[in-house]
Amino acid sequence: MVNLNAVPPKNGRDYYIAIGLEGSANKLGVGIIKHPLLNKHDDGDYSHDCQVEILSNIRDTYVTPPGEGFLPRDTARHHRNWCVRLIKKALEEAKIIHPTLDIDVICFTKGPGMGAPLHSVVIAARTCSLLWNVPLVGVNHCVGHIEMGREITKAKNPVVLYVSGGNTQVIAYSEKRYRIFGETLDIAIGNCLDRFARTLKIPNEPSPGYNIEQLAKQCSNKENLVELPYTVKGMDLSMSGILAYIDSLAKDLFKENKKNKILFDKESGEQKVTVEDLCYSLQENLFAMLVEITERAMAHVNSDQVLIVGGVGCNVRLQEMMAQMCIDRSNSKVHATDSRFCIDNGVMIAQAGLLQYRMNDVVKDLSETVVTQKFRTDEVFVDWRE
Amino acid sequence: MSEQLVAQISEYLTPNVPIQLVSQGAEAVVFTTNVHPYLPKESYSGVEDAKFIIKYRPSKSYRHPSIDKSLTKRRTLGEARLLGKLHQIEGLHVPHLIACDAYNGCLWLEFLGENLPNGMGFSNLKNFLWMYAKGGNDPYDPIVLETLYKVGQEIGLLHWNDYCHGDLTSSNIILVREKPGSDTWVPHLIDFGLGSISNMVEDKGVDLYVLERAILSTHSSYAEKYNECLMNGFSSVYENNGKLGQKKLKEVINRFQEVRLRGRKRSMIG
Amino acid sequence: MTVFKFPQFQRYEISVSLFHNVSNTSDVKLKIAELPYALVDATMVCSIEQLYSAIYRAIVESTYNRLRTKTLHSECLLCLAPSSNIGEAFKRFGIKDESKEIIVIKIKDTEDDQDNDPEFPDIIKGDQVSFDDETLQATKNEELIRKVRIQTL
Repeated sequence: MVNLNAVPPKNGRDYYIAIGLEGSANKLGVGIIKHPLLNKHDDGDYSHDCQVEILSNIRDTYVTPPGEGFLPRDTARHHRNWCVRLIKKALEEAKIIHPTLDIDVICFTKGPGMGAPLHSVVIAARTCSLLWNVPLVGVNHCVGHIEMGREITKAKNPVVLYVSGGNTQVIAYSEKRYRIFGETLDIAIGNCLDRFARTLKIPNEPSPGYNIEQLAKQCSNKENLVELPYTVKGMDLSMSGILAYIDSLAKDLFKENKKNKILFDKESGEQKVTVEDLCYSLQENLFAMLVEITERAMAHVNSDQVLIVGGVGCNVRLQEMMAQMCIDRSNSKVHATDSRFCIDNGVMIAQAGLLQYRMNDVVKDLSETVVTQKFRTDEVFVDWRE
Repeated sequence: MSEQLVAQISEYLTPNVPIQLVSQGAEAVVFTTNVHPYLPKESYSGVEDAKFIIKYRPSKSYRHPSIDKSLTKRRTLGEARLLGKLHQIEGLHVPHLIACDAYNGCLWLEFLGENLPNGMGFSNLKNFLWMYAKGGNDPYDPIVLETLYKVGQEIGLLHWNDYCHGDLTSSNIILVREKPGSDTWVPHLIDFGLGSISNMVEDKGVDLYVLERAILSTHSSYAEKYNECLMNGFSSVYENNGKLGQKKLKEVINRFQEVRLRGRKRSMIG
Repeated sequence: MTVFKFPQFQRYEISVSLFHNVSNTSDVKLKIAELPYALVDATMVCSIEQLYSAIYRAIVESTYNRLRTKTLHSECLLCLAPSSNIGEAFKRFGIKDESKEIIVIKIKDTEDDQDNDPEFPDIIKGDQVSFDDETLQATKNEELIRKVRIQTL
């Protein structure tokens, strides 16, 4: 049995307060949360039910012009420009006047992610820690998503599908580790969608993936799917080939290359396929692959719950497909959070970080606060679960 | 869900082919039947208890119908072709392919194995090892060690010919008696749904790793000796192929050890 | 003559006969196109399983996909062959002028009302023998069968 109350809150309070700083990609998030001190956490397995209160959840996204992706150096600059503002705003919203007294721990994203942006944020974290004399905890970005998902949906032990711009993994908990059952062999699904959005030159506001989803909804030719490679390999999947192929289709479409029989009618040269059709086909294909590997993992570990986390988890079509698979598997359930928590945010880092803190997993020396671009989900020792 | 599935396939098979559910995986459902798809009854009903396996890939409603149809067809056909090729390999034992209807995701296969005595379950490697681990039996009985050696040889043959199983657990290795009543078992590899043609050391290393872990997790006390016998059988196949065999064996074993260390998954990029 | 139906396909009644010492092969060969049967060179068949599995496949293709040849009967010949080259299949597995051992297959669609087709012995002049593995093994041309099968591996 796990004791989550081993480390008491500061200053004799009966609740914990944590601030989380997230900036592994183009979203800079600051979140402040409160965990009440509960008796049941003395002895049990309740890390999915902390009765968290979200005191503030501020986020600013670095959005680039259509057709462009975000580069590390510019993203880091964005984070540097915004973090003080966001932290101040978060403190204000949470009504925290004396951080030294009121905050138990500062949580930051240790990795994985883009180097320069991660670095900018950790510098802010270290500075706050020294300023306020508050301990630090380094959090794995993926674990942040998982813990936030569990807490919001109260799913105790689901198979987790983590899908974002930088990650695509199917995870199941086993013996103190979040084991990776299946993952992408090359690029992440969000990355695939984002890069296709760039090819199509659609706006990046609010996010490229969201705009692809809207275009897909407008497809008027849903019966005739454009055939794309389907590349599931056992429990893993590969997407770079699909991206290369659909990019070439899009380019042919723009160039009006009549020789392409898939896009243009052989005789009349009339256009058969639209941009909406391509978006629709891409989603149907990629999501079917994701649902398949998730189902395989569920069968393997005998689970009846799925939790979808990560930015791509906001996609309604993906949630629909997963739900359908769960219905067919009888009694299985899909859990998903909304865009406040699906998309990278500071609150999830605070949530996972606070759980780590409560298990006494604190940074003892500043040298431990080095960030890392590669940080596998299964490297984390999950001592807050049974 | 099972009722729906069974209804689906019963309609396709017609009431003339009675079926019994054996197992249900993520991708396929397995049944047994005592009716052959195309041989006249006289040709096989003489054999007592004639049984055949039907492996059915049901359609999945969550995916677009055109993806579903083409995927089912591709996977069924792929598995059938693989089994056909593997059948040609001298010394390798896989189920005989009876019929294939890729348009409906249906494969008819030879039924292998039997029920082990004393209610120990079906004669797959997992139950077989359990049987010898139970009271009165010697887990290191020469029959066990010899059988494991033969299992290693099967895998060695598979890999030497550049094929990979993809899901090599101890439930996917079926033991068939050499002759009725004999205590000599011939291991057969089944379920090539995730199998492929592959000359990549990585895939072979993963195959070996998955089996090693399967044996470790279910028979941890004797796993060391068991895995040793397995690897001896495996190595013997490569060693019989001269210098090239030795070289390739070393590559596979090295990769196997690497896979062991990192737990099968490659390093992630953030 | 063996007559039966595949359990899954009650619509088709399948009749198979094996003839030895056929004397009018060349005549039969001339009429092949009009005959509603499949005529197979028995020396290329080594088991009843081989033949029936080809008929099964032909019916599956016809029911759930499409025929690659003109009729269900010609499709059986194609399904006997390891490759999808129709000319090759007919040449290898169809009857040759010198063929003395012939298998006749008739697949009758029970949804068709009429059946004025001539009986096998009226067409083929030879000794009707039992269609079973033993008889087939006696006349099979193992070398040629192996040669043809290995071509596609």
